[in-house]
Amino acid sequence: MKAKQKSKPTRTRSRQNHQLRDVAVRVVDSADQITRVIARVATGAETQNRSLDSAASQANQMTASLKETARQVESVAASSEEMASSINEVSASIEQVTANAASVASAISQTSVSIQQISASTSAVTDTTSEMAASAQELTTSAVEVAASVRRVTRDTDELVTSLNQTGTSIEQMNRSIQGVVTNADDLTAASEETSSAMNEMAASIEEVGAMSEGLASSVEETASSIEEMARSIQGVAQSGSKIAEAANNAATSATQMDRSSRSVAALAKHAEEITKRASHDAEAGGQTIQRSIEGIGKVATAMGSTTNAMRDLNKRTMEITGIVDTINVIAERTNLLSLNASIEAARAGDAGRGFAVVAEEIRNLADRCARATADIGQIVRALQESTRDATESANHNLRVAEDSNKQSESGLEGLRRILNSITEASTVVGQISRATEEQLVAGKHVSEAVSTTATEARQIAGATAEQAKGAGNIVKATAQMRKVSKEVAQAMGEHGRAAREVIKAAQNSNNIAIQLRRATTEQASGLSQIVQAVDSMRKGGASTSRALSEQATATEQVSKEAERLANLIAAVNRSMTEQSSGTAQISAATESVRQQAEQLSRAVAEQARGSKDLTTASQNVAKQIRLITQANTEHSLSAEQVLRSLLEIREVAGHNAQDAKSVQTTSEDLLMHSGELREIAGTRNGNGSSRGGRRPSLARRRDTVTNGSHLARS
Amino acid sequence: MANETYVLFELAGTTYALPSREVQHIEMLDHVTPVPNANPAVEGVIFSRGQVIPAMNLRMRFGFPREPHTLRTRVIVVDIHQRTVALIVDAAREFRAIPDNAIRSIDETLAGVDRNYLRGVATLNDRLILLLNLAAVLNHGGAGRMIDTARGLAAVPSSSTEAVHANP
Repeated sequence: MKAKQKSKPTRTRSRQNHQLRDVAVRVVDSADQITRVIARVATGAETQNRSLDSAASQANQMTASLKETARQVESVAASSEEMASSINEVSASIEQVTANAASVASAISQTSVSIQQISASTSAVTDTTSEMAASAQELTTSAVEVAASVRRVTRDTDELVTSLNQTGTSIEQMNRSIQGVVTNADDLTAASEETSSAMNEMAASIEEVGAMSEGLASSVEETASSIEEMARSIQGVAQSGSKIAEAANNAATSATQMDRSSRSVAALAKHAEEITKRASHDAEAGGQTIQRSIEGIGKVATAMGSTTNAMRDLNKRTMEITGIVDTINVIAERTNLLSLNASIEAARAGDAGRGFAVVAEEIRNLADRCARATADIGQIVRALQESTRDATESANHNLRVAEDSNKQSESGLEGLRRILNSITEASTVVGQISRATEEQLVAGKHVSEAVSTTATEARQIAGATAEQAKGAGNIVKATAQMRKVSKEVAQAMGEHGRAAREVIKAAQNSNNIAIQLRRATTEQASGLSQIVQAVDSMRKGGASTSRALSEQATATEQVSKEAERLANLIAAVNRSMTEQSSGTAQISAATESVRQQAEQLSRAVAEQARGSKDLTTASQNVAKQIRLITQANTEHSLSAEQVLRSLLEIREVAGHNAQDAKSVQTTSEDLLMHSGELREIAGTRNGNGSSRGGRRPSLARRRDTVTNGSHLARS
Repeated sequence: MANETYVLFELAGTTYALPSREVQHIEMLDHVTPVPNANPAVEGVIFSRGQVIPAMNLRMRFGFPREPHTLRTRVIVVDIHQRTVALIVDAAREFRAIPDNAIRSIDETLAGVDRNYLRGVATLNDRLILLLNLAAVLNHGGAGRMIDTARGLAAVPSSSTEAVHANP
């Protein structure tokens, strides 16, 4: 009986020792695995460091290109401002719109009055609604009360069931403890002596190993959490990088659009410049032609004047000639008279005067011829005078006509000069616009270059971050493994401890059994009292159930009252809604007038805008693009800052990681050592360490591997 | 005297002829001093070669309208029956010898014309020339008296008044 009693604890102990040895072996394997994992973590960290460096340099480059972009955008903005000032000159007539806008504003104020009415009625609605809500709240509270009392009914019922169960269990326990008193009393004394010395030794070592593995677990946990942190911040970097890429893409699109609209502005300006140039050329040519014709007319007038002068001269001369002819005529007449008188005298003288008579005759003939000739001359001179008069008249007429044409040409020239001035002004403005647009184009090109550089940098960052993420993923994977392994260690240690506890428990069992015996009897008594208690609580549960049901009834009454009030409130809401609808009708009337005003306004604006529409839209586009670019740039810089911050965090975390890895390494080394010791103790306790010799070298080998791994990690 | 010489003068488009022995001299019309209460045919008196001579406008005398004087207007101073008279004519520019056979009596040519004023009609190279009867012209219709009145005013001796009246 005693031998049988003794053999049973011994069998149990050997089983437990065997279990301990297995656990120790598993702990050693796990520690080995941990060192390998740490080595992998180290390589991953190295890769990560490299990619961090490259990411930092990329981020710096990106910052530089962002600055460049910002500078270019500023210059674009400057040239846009120039263009805007040019456009301002064009849009001076917008003031006309202001009058219509004022009437629109009055209509809008009407609208706002109506809207205020609406808001008053709406607030009434809101008040009603809030009352309604309060009622609903009360309703809800009542419902909750109902629910609570119902739940109480349920709980009480549950309690009833539990009490009944407990009653059953207590009765069973009573039976079991009575049986335990019978079976365990025999094994009582033998177990404790043999085990106690070994147990103490082992317990100390187990405690130590447990502390180690706990330290390992905590440092692994730390590492894991910092690695997770790192992974998160890498994720952040990746997000920021993708944001940057997105923003860069946006900026690139905006820059392209800006470039397009700038180009269209440039084309328009160029076209306008060409037209203006052509017009100015034509106007100049016209002006020159008119100038020439004015000069020609002036020459004609001068020639006319000199002609008139010559005519006057001619007239004077012919007058003189007429005078001379008259004189000659008089002389001829006198001569004729003299010769006639001479003939008369000669006739009176008879034969003596015959010769004289002949002479007188001759003289008279000459005088007559002279008179005829002078008559001819007079006729010719008269004709000449007539012709001169006609010529003078027509010359005077010509002069008047020439003066008229000169005046007309002068006014034409004046008009042309004004046109030329306007054209010059227009061409100046257009030139300014085209210059601003050219500057914009250049700046826009710089912007798009800078943006593309940024995009390249962002892509490179994304590449580096992807590498980093890959490294971090590796690390996380390794860490997960590490965690798993350390959990296994902890589990093993737990098993270890359990086994030891079982050993100790077995030793203590013998002492306890007697106590259990006595306690079982006491339990029996207490179980009976529990039965009594359970029956009592059953009764109590029934009473509270009935109470809860009456509460339920009152709550239901309250619910119905609240529902009535709710109906009233809903009627009030309906009234408010009617008011609201009339206010809405007023609003719609006011809105109609607003719409009319707006139509007038839009007509005026449309007329006005038609002239400078292309230019304005184009420059608006440009401004929009610039805004977008600036926005994108801001996003860029934000993202870049985030990237830098994240990189700094990562660097910090990586430093922590390195430290943690180091502590993990030392801890795992210690763990290895203690595991070896544990195994030894287990082997000693077993008596014959059959596998001890075979395991030692492998342990040493693993230590070498671990140190190598730690070197690798440190490097 | 087969070829008597004549002074030819113009009056209202017609050529008249006076025998050159009856003409004292011819002058241009310089100035006529009007005489009060005179016959309409007598324009006044002129001063010629130291003499004051009554001037008769032959146009008025023959019933033609008066014409303004021109450069060609001439004054023919005639002596007839011891009386000197100035005849104002349109023009006097020719001195011609007209053969007698070229002269025809007025009876043969112009019937019903007052024959007293004309002595005949001469044709010279298809020109028709009226030969004036100066004495008849001056005496007819109280012309001679008027001339005498003018002469009296000009303090000229009126010895020939008798002769004028003697002519019917």
